[in-house]
Amino acid sequence: MKFSVNWLREFVELPPSIDALAELLTMSGVEIEGIQKRGADFDKVVVAQIMDSKPHPNADRLTVCVVDDGTGTKRQIVCGAKNYRVGDKVPLALPGAELTGGLKIRASKLRGVESEGMLCSAKELGVAEDAAGLLILSPEAKIGTPIRDLFPLDTILDVEITPNRGDLLSHFGLAREIAALTNKRFVGQALRLPSKAAGDAPALQKKGIKISALRECPFYSARRIENVKIGPSPDWLRAKIESIGIRSINNVVDVSNFVMLELGQPTHAFDADKLRGEINVRLAHEAEEFLALDGKTYELTRENLVIADGERTVGIAGVMGGEESGVTDSTKNVLLESAYFLPASIRRTARDLNLPSDASYRFERGVDPQMILAASRRAAALICKVAGATSAATIGVAGELPPDPPDVSLRYEGLDQLVGIHIQPTTADTILTRFGLSKSRSDSTPQSHWKIPSHRRDLQREVDLIEEIIRAHGIEKIPSADRSRFTPLSEADRNFDFETKLRRDLIAIALTEARTSSLIARSELAKATGAIELRNPLSEDHVALRTSLIAGLLGAVARNIRAGAERIALFEIGNTFSPPTGEQQRKLAIALCGQAASVKDWRSAKKRQLDFFDLKGALNVLGTFEFRRSKQSGFVLMAEIFYKTDRIGYGGQLSATTSIGANAPVLIAEIDLKRIAQAKEYTQTFKEMDRYPEVTRDVAMFVGLQVTHAEILASIASANEPLLEKVELFDLFMENDGQKKPDMKKSLAYSLTYRDKNRTLTSEEVSAVHARIRERLRNEIGAELRE
Amino acid sequence: MHPLEQLRDDALAQIASAADERVLESVRVRFLGRSGSLSEWSDKMKSLPKEEKPTVGKLLNEVRIAITAAIEERLESFRAEKESAAVANIDLSLPGTPHERGALHPLTQMLDRSIAVFRRMGFALAEGPDIETEWHCFDALNTPSDHPARNEQDTFYLPDGRLLRTHTSTVQIRAMESAPPPIRVIAPGAAYRRDEIDATHTTQFHQIEGLYVDENVSVADLKGTLEFFLRELFGAETAVRFRPHYFPFTEPSFEIDVKSSALKGGEQWVEVCGCGMVHPAVFEAVNQSRRDNAYDPEKWTGFAFGLGMDRLAMILFDIPDIRLFAQNDLRFLRQFA
Repeated sequence: MKFSVNWLREFVELPPSIDALAELLTMSGVEIEGIQKRGADFDKVVVAQIMDSKPHPNADRLTVCVVDDGTGTKRQIVCGAKNYRVGDKVPLALPGAELTGGLKIRASKLRGVESEGMLCSAKELGVAEDAAGLLILSPEAKIGTPIRDLFPLDTILDVEITPNRGDLLSHFGLAREIAALTNKRFVGQALRLPSKAAGDAPALQKKGIKISALRECPFYSARRIENVKIGPSPDWLRAKIESIGIRSINNVVDVSNFVMLELGQPTHAFDADKLRGEINVRLAHEAEEFLALDGKTYELTRENLVIADGERTVGIAGVMGGEESGVTDSTKNVLLESAYFLPASIRRTARDLNLPSDASYRFERGVDPQMILAASRRAAALICKVAGATSAATIGVAGELPPDPPDVSLRYEGLDQLVGIHIQPTTADTILTRFGLSKSRSDSTPQSHWKIPSHRRDLQREVDLIEEIIRAHGIEKIPSADRSRFTPLSEADRNFDFETKLRRDLIAIALTEARTSSLIARSELAKATGAIELRNPLSEDHVALRTSLIAGLLGAVARNIRAGAERIALFEIGNTFSPPTGEQQRKLAIALCGQAASVKDWRSAKKRQLDFFDLKGALNVLGTFEFRRSKQSGFVLMAEIFYKTDRIGYGGQLSATTSIGANAPVLIAEIDLKRIAQAKEYTQTFKEMDRYPEVTRDVAMFVGLQVTHAEILASIASANEPLLEKVELFDLFMENDGQKKPDMKKSLAYSLTYRDKNRTLTSEEVSAVHARIRERLRNEIGAELRE
Repeated sequence: MHPLEQLRDDALAQIASAADERVLESVRVRFLGRSGSLSEWSDKMKSLPKEEKPTVGKLLNEVRIAITAAIEERLESFRAEKESAAVANIDLSLPGTPHERGALHPLTQMLDRSIAVFRRMGFALAEGPDIETEWHCFDALNTPSDHPARNEQDTFYLPDGRLLRTHTSTVQIRAMESAPPPIRVIAPGAAYRRDEIDATHTTQFHQIEGLYVDENVSVADLKGTLEFFLRELFGAETAVRFRPHYFPFTEPSFEIDVKSSALKGGEQWVEVCGCGMVHPAVFEAVNQSRRDNAYDPEKWTGFAFGLGMDRLAMILFDIPDIRLFAQNDLRFLRQFA
């Protein structure tokens, strides 16, 4: 909410500077989000009256006005606005004036016509945001008056009021808080006195009002004000509400808004002559339609509290009045409502109708019951003053004001324990008293009982009192303590450590980590079967929970292709949500596309595109997997990935990737991490290092295209030679004569390592073993061995 | 002079004047080879009178050693010259061999740094699901239906009435449901808000939630813990201030601002954390769910906090736009390698 510093100053002496005030409030939990200087502090800007207006001879959009600036001589001014009538009073900047933004006013010719000054908008004077047309002043403004007398200098504070502090949503309320924090006298209290004590003549009468929903509306008052002359507000009133950002409508509506800003209690003015019979506060009928003041029709339900007369609904209680019963220029008599509505009910209605208003904002945070009649009195008095009205001798009321909040007790020992230092009971008592609490009863020292003022319904239990004490005492006075303790590793710690290691392993092989959204776009839904859709998405880009990391990662690939990346190698570790329950799964996905090397190497000009084997190699970081060829639409090459006997994911090369702009293969894989994480316990133990030398022998062969590397390995392994330590493929090429023949062959070359861990092998025995293996390859898989 | 001595001097002279390894090798063959001069002398030895044998034999041996050593020395100097010649013209300003590198996402780095500090303080990790019940996200956190702070407008709902958690504070409830006090955990994770996306708002962001419940936990402990964390993160000279605030699930509640000349935009207070003492109503809700009185508000107190990782990373790495995190542009990610 916005606050005027001048207005606050009417109720309490403020700290010496705005900065000090802002600091005081911010450090007591009332955060200042913005500070803005306001007011029209200009020389040579005066009130002028428009005496005549003619079209500009050379420009359609301009007019030529004759104005009276109070000096007796008439001035001719060229003007671009259209919102005035002859006779209106407006601000006139005379030659020599300097406006906001350093705009200097000179007498000059505009499209050939002499202009001796400028008529100003509210924005040009810095008094409001509204720039549409001239600022029309009230008819009472005296011609020739310096404009700064009408719009005195002020500072507007933009203040964040937390939802528990509805009592601060008024100048009265914030000033009272400042007084408590600074221990200064608060001079607004008279405005809140009970009616009689305040010298309010009218008697309360239980007449003319029926409350059919007492839970939602415990108390309602309506005050009749007669012979109202509806018109523009006087400048002071208008300046005040406009400084807070509320548009001036007419004198009666402006008073209602003024009282809300001043005292925090929303009131509503009905045109009394448009109401039929007695007021009935009731719940709406199901599907009842209602035309509100904003010109829109709302369909109500039995949840919504409304104000009705004998015939129809005339207002949505605490939210918005009706178009048909509102105050208009022809209104003669006003019925002024001031009531207490159940916060939860108002909140539900404003939310369900999507119709938040300044009034509902306050009602749903709870207004001060003791302010209801005081606000009615204040509004009536002001309407009488600014609209020449008279107030009726009685006020209709119904229901009972909500009772005062229950007492809250405070144990001083509990205070010290929660704060962490000793605070003197007298200090605590003084603070609470300053906030308007009173000690109702005191059992010896350890505990006291406090009566809570009606505007502090947020103070419900001991901790709430403790917070008030800390806030006022100063959190900076509480020392910082070291309270570390031993904590054993948790399951979540283990998962985190596993993933941290995995991430580091993956970046070590030159993959870069991506983090994409858990929410996928509508365009991805077709590919994500059963993905749980949001009931209330905000944009088409985020409509459902991902079932796979791939869509997001491909989005990142596409973005990087557009950005011209030569080598894209990304991974993501994240949650997916499987239908139908949304069970959370931890997955790893990898995406590769482009060149194997992103940086040019001056010694090796070899260029190679990333392919399936780069993907497979990257997955080796996690463990040893089996890739079983499979088929799936969208893939040119696809494999199911198995860890031992479990299928844990899939990977392959996508088809038709030109759609994302790729001109190199796009490879993706996705793996379920749970199974791997379980397998990756710390089970490594020391193995003795080899003491005797190895002997390596190569074997090169031609085989048919259908023979796989795995089959060759299996054949070698099946020899069960105890001296054979490892087998490594070191060369592979296809016969290439430009055409595929049925008997085409490929050549593979392996290096076989032999070792005995207890002795040095002789050449003869290695040759014997190697020969056996060669023989097996020749016989089992028909390898054509090369010498 | 003995002819062998003459032979030695000849050899040494030829070795010294050998122009390259090839010439040196021919010198070696000439003197030390199978049919070289010294071999001839060995043969001659057999025909020498017995009394001369020891002297000549000794001399022969000395000459062989001298020539061998001279050849070895000369060879070494040839190798050294060759090595020097090989690197003499190397341009040291040529680029080193390039290696492909990967990079961790800046949010991961932010999380890792933060988690490391909390682990040093004895916090264990905890987890909770992204899809939550209204009860865990709101009711149990003292934000009943119709509470002004319960902002359904900003919450994504699923068709079955569950929602995407709007904060990681849900893990406070999950942690207390699953274990009795004392409890000392942090929970990193994603949270979601139904917010229009712009430079400072996004629908999915990352938080670290913290919770410590024990006997006699106080505001002083909360201050000490978070001040330590923030100074570890932003530097020892960082100014930290606690400001009273309001959250339904903590009372008293605070926001924390930091100020450090090490940060860009230096002398401004920047809000980095929300925290407070666990509200007794939260303990009561947990007890209800546990069907016991394990978290008796008369016996246990605690503090809780929430840190926005996206925001911290933006402050610490001077990143101007929150949307960069989700775009995964390699030109961005690589900057933090």
